[in-house]
Amino acid sequence: MKDKLDNMLHSARELISTVASEAELQQIKIRFLGKKGELTAIMKGMGQLSAAERPVIGALANTVKDEIESLLHERLERTRAAEIDRRLQGEKIDVTLPGRRGERGSKHPITIVTEELVAIFAALGFGVAEGPEVEKDFYNFEALNIPRDHPARDMQDTFYITDDVVLRTHTSPVQIRTMIKQAPPVRIIAPGTVYRRDSDLTHSPMFHQIEGFMVDRDISFADLKGVLTAFVTSYFGDNVKVRFRPSFFPFTEPSAEVDIACVICGGGGCRVCGQSGWLEILGSGMIDPEVFKSVGYDPELYSGFAFGMGLERIAMLKYGVNDLRLFFENDTRFLKQF
Amino acid sequence: MIVTGSWLKDFVDYNYAPTELSHRLTMAGLEVDNLELLGEGLDAVIVARLLAVEAHPDADKLTLCRVATGSEEVQVVCGATNHRSGDLVALAQVGAVLPGDFKIKKSKIRGCVSMGMLCSEKELGLADNAAGIMILPAGLTLGEPVFSALGIKDARYELGLTPNRADCLSVLGVAREVAAMTGGKLKPLVLDLAEEGAPVFAQTSVTIEAAEDCPRYAARLIRGVKIGPSPAWLAQRIESVGMRSINNVVDVTNYILMELGQPLHAFDFMHLRDQRIVVKHARDGELFTTLDGQERKLLASDLVICDGAGPVALAGIMGGLNSEVKDVTTDILLESAYFNPLTVRRTSKRLGIHSESSHRFERGTDVANLLVALDRATQLIVATAGGTVARGAIDVYPQVIPSREIPLRLAKITQVLGEELPAGQVCEMLESLGLTLVSDGPERYLVTVPHFRHDLEREIDLIEEVVRLNGYDNIPLSMPNGRADCQLLPRSRKLANLTRDHFVAAGYSELINYSFVSPASWDQVQLPADDPRRATVNVLNPLTDEQSVMRTSLVPSVLQSVAGNLAYRTLDLRLFELRPVFHPHHGAELPTEQLRLCAALCGRREPQGWANGDADVDFYDLKGVLENLLATLHINDVTWQGDASDVFLHPGKSCTLRSGESVLGTLGEVHPRVLANFDIDTPVIILDLNMAALISRTGDHPGFKPVSRFPVLQRDTALLVADILPAADILKVVAKSRIRDIEDVVIFDLYCGKGIPAGKKSVAIRVSYRSVEKTLTDDEINAAHGKLVNKLCQQLEAEIR
Repeated sequence: MKDKLDNMLHSARELISTVASEAELQQIKIRFLGKKGELTAIMKGMGQLSAAERPVIGALANTVKDEIESLLHERLERTRAAEIDRRLQGEKIDVTLPGRRGERGSKHPITIVTEELVAIFAALGFGVAEGPEVEKDFYNFEALNIPRDHPARDMQDTFYITDDVVLRTHTSPVQIRTMIKQAPPVRIIAPGTVYRRDSDLTHSPMFHQIEGFMVDRDISFADLKGVLTAFVTSYFGDNVKVRFRPSFFPFTEPSAEVDIACVICGGGGCRVCGQSGWLEILGSGMIDPEVFKSVGYDPELYSGFAFGMGLERIAMLKYGVNDLRLFFENDTRFLKQF
Repeated sequence: MIVTGSWLKDFVDYNYAPTELSHRLTMAGLEVDNLELLGEGLDAVIVARLLAVEAHPDADKLTLCRVATGSEEVQVVCGATNHRSGDLVALAQVGAVLPGDFKIKKSKIRGCVSMGMLCSEKELGLADNAAGIMILPAGLTLGEPVFSALGIKDARYELGLTPNRADCLSVLGVAREVAAMTGGKLKPLVLDLAEEGAPVFAQTSVTIEAAEDCPRYAARLIRGVKIGPSPAWLAQRIESVGMRSINNVVDVTNYILMELGQPLHAFDFMHLRDQRIVVKHARDGELFTTLDGQERKLLASDLVICDGAGPVALAGIMGGLNSEVKDVTTDILLESAYFNPLTVRRTSKRLGIHSESSHRFERGTDVANLLVALDRATQLIVATAGGTVARGAIDVYPQVIPSREIPLRLAKITQVLGEELPAGQVCEMLESLGLTLVSDGPERYLVTVPHFRHDLEREIDLIEEVVRLNGYDNIPLSMPNGRADCQLLPRSRKLANLTRDHFVAAGYSELINYSFVSPASWDQVQLPADDPRRATVNVLNPLTDEQSVMRTSLVPSVLQSVAGNLAYRTLDLRLFELRPVFHPHHGAELPTEQLRLCAALCGRREPQGWANGDADVDFYDLKGVLENLLATLHINDVTWQGDASDVFLHPGKSCTLRSGESVLGTLGEVHPRVLANFDIDTPVIILDLNMAALISRTGDHPGFKPVSRFPVLQRDTALLVADILPAADILKVVAKSRIRDIEDVVIFDLYCGKGIPAGKKSVAIRVSYRSVEKTLTDDEINAAHGKLVNKLCQQLEAEIR
């Protein structure tokens, strides 16, 4: 009986080592371990053995059974792996062929810059406000301390709808509308479309600005410098040099132009910065007390600063665009670059 | 405004190099737009003497010159004819680089060696043209660079002045700023005027009949002048600041204008009728010819300078042709006045005359300094044109304009600046600008402002001066405390951003077109005459007719963008624009601005590629994008009305979208006639959406629906229905069937043709069944589906195919 089991194990081992398919392995399994299999037959014949032999042979039979099962299992794993390997070898694609792409859409670069700026100022606690593009003279000029017949009106060539209605020449009227509606403290930015009656290589009759302002008790010029420096470094990089220099806007006093070291030449002087090494990027200043009076804020109680910048200019610097007209020609060969 | 370093130094001493001064002026608020250095890099052009001038042996028009440089003698070939032996000339030595990057090299000209070049004024950048070479005045040192020897090495500062700084529209004004920077003092002007003969009062008179518009008018009379070209120094100075030299008298008035900022006017005294001056308002409709030969129609609000009979000048703006100084003029009445800035501005603006004079008067001149200007000009006229000055000056100043006094609190300076400045420093800074301060209580001052600073009216204006002189660079940085009451992003903007992102993700490119369009746009999209979109907001002063009306629809602009791209052979387009349109609002001053979205597509559905299909886009491509957007915005009640759309759409391939009571917009293929109007030769699908309505219909998220854990089973059925039956009706029957456990239904096939009777079509639907409670059995589903198919057959007169 023992010999029989030994021989069975031996022949099973040999058989298993030679087969190459899952089907053959299945047949071997049936031959030895199936209901009518050889090992099963031996197990069935155990009853005829002596009480002394029975446990010995029983243990041996179990060992043989385990051994055959483990051999079958191992061989099965190997066969499956080999089959997968064989299949994979026949399946090779050209990964350099272009992917199955849909059309890629694009946001207008002015939108991209707007969203970036809004995000930076949102992080600084500024909310977004909007105002009409066709605006009353009062909001666009008068309330901003730009009376009729004032030379400051020459700074902006205006499109008129009627004598008292204009296409807004800047986003500053949103300041007025917001302050009339809301008491301090306020922190607002207002991106928007503006219009000036000017059209050449460096001027477009329609362009975009972002306006920002903050009013509270004790807002100082130092705060203006702090907030705008934070903005400039977060947008143009920590190492960019910033300078504030005196300027004039009718609705701020003192007023400052904010320049950054030229992003093209790094400050050495080039055509983009007009050899000065500096690029003007925004206008700013402490809100003029006259403006506070026209919106009903007490200039003795409150102070604040305001700033504004041209989005086309920012986009031109950011992307190196050298022709303003490209922003409004809507050529997809331009638009899809963003 | 241009000033030169040499002219500035007549008024103030400073030790800044030109680039340093340029930087300091910019940082003081007088932005230097351009700095030009005259004679810079021209040190190799030296003073030399011609020792001998001989004819060139081989060329008729050339001379051979022997030239002494002070250290050696060299030979130079020269093509000019105006030079003589013994003359001092400007020699550009070998190695010199002249303006225009013209390098001087040792050369051989027709066989003769030339060691340099004798220069003309043009070649040195000193004049626009020149006849012959420059002959230098005697007495210069040989070998010295020409520009230094002539004292014309100079710096030109072109200032971009802001409108508030009228006081800096003169050399004196800029010098005052430089003095404030250095802490130095201005050099006083030395006036030395010889008067003779009959007193001026005996010979002429000035009457002011409009004192509010002309508070002060002064004049002098100079007889016996000889009009002629200006001396070189005068012409050179005038030209160095960008003016043209005309004659000695006119040049002197321009010189004083640039130097002191006081515009003057010289009348030909013999042409003043009654030989007197009356300052008054014009008569309404009065005609007057200015010295540019233009006839002007005046209003009663215009201020004119008259003689005994009528106008001879538009006050502060331009003189008249009738009293202009000409070559034959001998007697001059010189005017130095102060006019109301607003009066000058109104008239000059209305008549469209912008002169150096009006530019200054309308910004405000120095009423206190006009006599100094008058006397200095008189002195210079006598010096350059001869003549004698009548005794005395006329000075009509009926109501002396008081100096402005402004209270100033140190605490307010601290508040604005964000840091405290010592009182002594504040006083020093303001005094350096010519202001005077007297104490007005603790930490308070009363500040008197000189007449030339029209921009200093209020305390904040004084504070600005302090902050400016203190230097913006010296102000610390701080971050304000966060306390604000604001909405981070208005809902409409948030939804507009979401919509934009949706279209970009769907492959569309965002456009920005001008808000103003041509009035012909409405014909292009064939709007009928009574279409409300033809009622536009119009620009009164457009740049071109193409940009003269505010758009009431985005459609023409977007179709224009389609056409523009097609013209560059970009044939597969997906474009959208999300911008406001403008409708006149009856009874309101401002129009209604309504946000709209217009999207267009044409060409291939998929980009060209080895694995992509070749089919072109159609209505359903854009409808699909829109359906997903509507789902994102939770607008679930949209109906697609195929029997009505818009005039620019193909009537059979378009629809109107409605949600509740609102019309959201239209969608469809563009009408072929409209396409032709835009020269577009390919079908275009367009969506014209009222974003504002869409935003107002946008719902909140309805809340989460439980997800079933049980398997799904599907049943397909092909229905034979009338070919005019809208697919929506089939889906509606399913939706209203109230059969439980229907999870979804899709139309997966549409067929019409062979095997289908005429007037019919086959619509195949796939219904998915799934319960949230259990695994459904085949029997349950078959029963449910049978019920559904029965309903479809009954309600739609459908048959199972």
